[in-house]
Amino acid sequence: MSDLTIVLRSLRTRLFSTTVVVLLVAISAGLLLAILSLRSAGERAFERGTGNAHLLVSRDGSPLVSVLNGLFYANPPKAPLDQAKIAELRASFPWAMFVPTAVGDSYRSFPVVATVREFFTTFEPVLGEPWQFAEGRAFDKNFEIVIGDGVARETGLRLGAELVLTHGSGKSREGGEDGGGHAHVHEEYKYTVVGILRPTGSPHDRALFSDLESTWILHAFDRFERAGEHRTVTAADLTDEDRVVTGVLLRLPSRDPSSAPPALVSQYDRMRRDGSITVAIPSNEVQRLFSIVKSVDVLFLAMAAATLVSSAVAILLSMINSMAERRRQVAILRVLGASQARIFWLVLTESTIVGLVGAAAGVVVCAAVLFVATRWLLGAHGIVIAPELDARSAVLVAMGTTLLAAIAGIVPSVLAYRTTVARGLRPIG
Amino acid sequence: MAASTTGPATGTNTSLSAGGHEPALAISGLHFRYGDRGFELKVPSFTLARGEEMLLVGRSGCGKSTLLQLIAGLVDPTSGVVKVAGQDMHALKGAARDRFRGRSVGMVFQTFNLLQGFSARENVLVALLMSDTPKGEWNARAEALLASLGIERVDAPAEELSVGQQQRVAVARALACRPALVLADEPTASLDPENAANAVHVLREACRAQGAALLVVSHDPSLEAHFARRERLDAVAATASASATTTTTATTTTTATTTTTAGATSIHEGADAR
Repeated sequence: MSDLTIVLRSLRTRLFSTTVVVLLVAISAGLLLAILSLRSAGERAFERGTGNAHLLVSRDGSPLVSVLNGLFYANPPKAPLDQAKIAELRASFPWAMFVPTAVGDSYRSFPVVATVREFFTTFEPVLGEPWQFAEGRAFDKNFEIVIGDGVARETGLRLGAELVLTHGSGKSREGGEDGGGHAHVHEEYKYTVVGILRPTGSPHDRALFSDLESTWILHAFDRFERAGEHRTVTAADLTDEDRVVTGVLLRLPSRDPSSAPPALVSQYDRMRRDGSITVAIPSNEVQRLFSIVKSVDVLFLAMAAATLVSSAVAILLSMINSMAERRRQVAILRVLGASQARIFWLVLTESTIVGLVGAAAGVVVCAAVLFVATRWLLGAHGIVIAPELDARSAVLVAMGTTLLAAIAGIVPSVLAYRTTVARGLRPIG
Repeated sequence: MAASTTGPATGTNTSLSAGGHEPALAISGLHFRYGDRGFELKVPSFTLARGEEMLLVGRSGCGKSTLLQLIAGLVDPTSGVVKVAGQDMHALKGAARDRFRGRSVGMVFQTFNLLQGFSARENVLVALLMSDTPKGEWNARAEALLASLGIERVDAPAEELSVGQQQRVAVARALACRPALVLADEPTASLDPENAANAVHVLREACRAQGAALLVVSHDPSLEAHFARRERLDAVAATASASATTTTTATTTTTATTTTTAGATSIHEGADAR
C-alpha cells in the first residue's frame, strides 16, 4: 500500500471515464508524434532520393518540377532534350558523371527509367551508397530490364520474367488506361528481367531501369505505326526524333564525395544562362520544397497541439465530473490522517498519471499511424519513407503531454484540497 | 475536568492519574458557534478515561456529529480545549494535526465510508499508511485485526462484502493505528435492531481488545441498554441559550450543554471544516 496505490485504485474505480480520457490523450499525443516523425522521415526520404547528382538538367518548367520528375518520378517530363543539346552539355565540362535518362514509360504504374549502364556504376541513388544487386546484373543489351526492390516485392517479378511496358504513366496492361486515356501498351517488345536491386529507401526502389536504345526503338515503332507502317524496328531505324532524353544527371569532379565542389556554383550559373534548359541542384530543390510546405506543416502541428490541449481539458472535465465521488474519498482520507497537501498531490498525481499513460499509449498510436501512413504514401504516391520514432520528439511530446495533464489536474486538486470533510462524509442519498 | 470516572464496560474504576496516563479525551470550556445561523455548542467539561465506553444520545441536528468533528480536529472550535490522549488537538496545525488524528483517533461512520475499489485489507492498510506506523507491521496488523473481527475475505472488494462485514471492516480500520479514542457516529442508524445490537457488540469488543476508549453518538435510545455510561446532548429548540440536561452515571461529573436557535440545521452544512 502506498499513495500510488490509492491513486491507481481511484482511477480504477472510474475505469470507463479513465480509459476514455487516456485514449483521447493517446490519440492526441500519437497524432502529434506521428506528424513530427512523418515530417522528418519525409525530409530524409527526399534528401536520400537526390543521390549523388550535383546537377539535373531537363526541359521542365522549373528546377523543382525538374527534380520531382527526374529523380522522384512524379510525372513524365513533357519536353525532351534534343540530341544536339545533349552533345553540347557533354562537351561543356569535364563531368565526373554524365547520365542521360528518359522517363515516360511505365509498368503497372511503376515508372520505367531508360538510361545508360553508367547509371549503375557512377550514379549513387543515395549519397555514399552505390547500387547493389540483390540478384542478377545490370542490362547488357536491348530489352533487358532491372527492377527496384519495391517493384520486385509488389509485382512478384523474378529474374527471367518477361514484361511489356506501357507508354505514359498509365496502369499496367491488366489495369487499363491511365487518367489521360492515352496509354499504349508496347505488346510488340517484351523485356526480360535481368537484375533485382537491393532496397535503397529512395523513390528509385519503385522504378524499373532499362537501356535508352530499347525505349527509343519502342517510340520509333509507334512512329512507324502512326505512319501506317507495320514493321519490325531496329536500332538502325532510329532517328534523332526517336532518341528522346528527358533529363541528364551530372556530377562534377570532387575530392570529397560528400560535399559540393567549389565549381558547382559557377557551372550552375553558367548553365542557367541557357534559356533552353532547366538546371537544378537537387539537394537545394528539396530544401526549397520543404520550405514551401513548412507553413502547412506548422498548421498541422498547431492542429495536433490543439488536439492535445483539448485532451487536457477532457482530463479536467472528467476529474471535475467525478468530484462528488472524490469528495467522499478525500473526506475519508482526511479522517484517516491525510493532510490537505497530501490530498492535493494525490489528485495531481492522478491527472499526471493519466497524461503519462496517455503519452505512452500515444507512442503506440503513433506507430499505428506511421504504419498506415507509410503504406498509404507508398501505395498512393510511391513515396518511400521510413519513418522512425524520433526519441527526442517522443520524450518531448511525452513530457509536454504529462505536463499538460498535470496542469489540467490543478483545479481538481485545489477543489479536493478544499473539500469540507463533514460534507464529504454525509450519508449518500 | 473530572478527576476520575467509572469504567462501566468493565465495571472497574479507572483512575485517570493512575500510571500517569492522560484521559483518552478531555474537553474543557469548548464553545463552537457557527456563522449567522446562530448554532452554538457548549461543552464546559467532559472527560473520557482510557478504555472507557460511553454513549452520547440526542436528537438529530443537536450537534452530536459536530462534537465528534471538534474532537477529531476536523472543525475548529470558537474557544476551548479538546485534548486527546493529553494532546491539545487544536493546538496542532495542518499536517501535524492530521497525523495526530490518524494515529490517535479512529472513526466509525453510519455508512461505514469504506473506500470503494479497495479490498477489506486495503481499507485497513490505508489507515496505517496515513499514520506513522512502521511499514513492516502493516500487513500483520491488518490481517490480525480483520481475523479477530471475523473477516475471511480480506482481499474481496469492500463493496462486495455484506453490510455486517463492511461494518466490521470499518471498525478494523478505525482501530488499525491503535488509537486512544474511537469515535462512532450513528454506527447503527442504517441497521435493523438485531444487527444494530450485533454491531455495537462488535464495536465494543474490538475497542476493549485494543484498549481504546469508545465514544458513540446516536439518536437511537435502544443503544442505551448497552452502555453503563450514557449522556444526553439535547438541543432545546426555540430557546436561545437553554441548557440541556445530561444523563450521567453516579460518578460522572461531565456536563454537556448545547444551545441552538430555532430552525438551526445540521452542523454539517456550515461547519468550517478544515
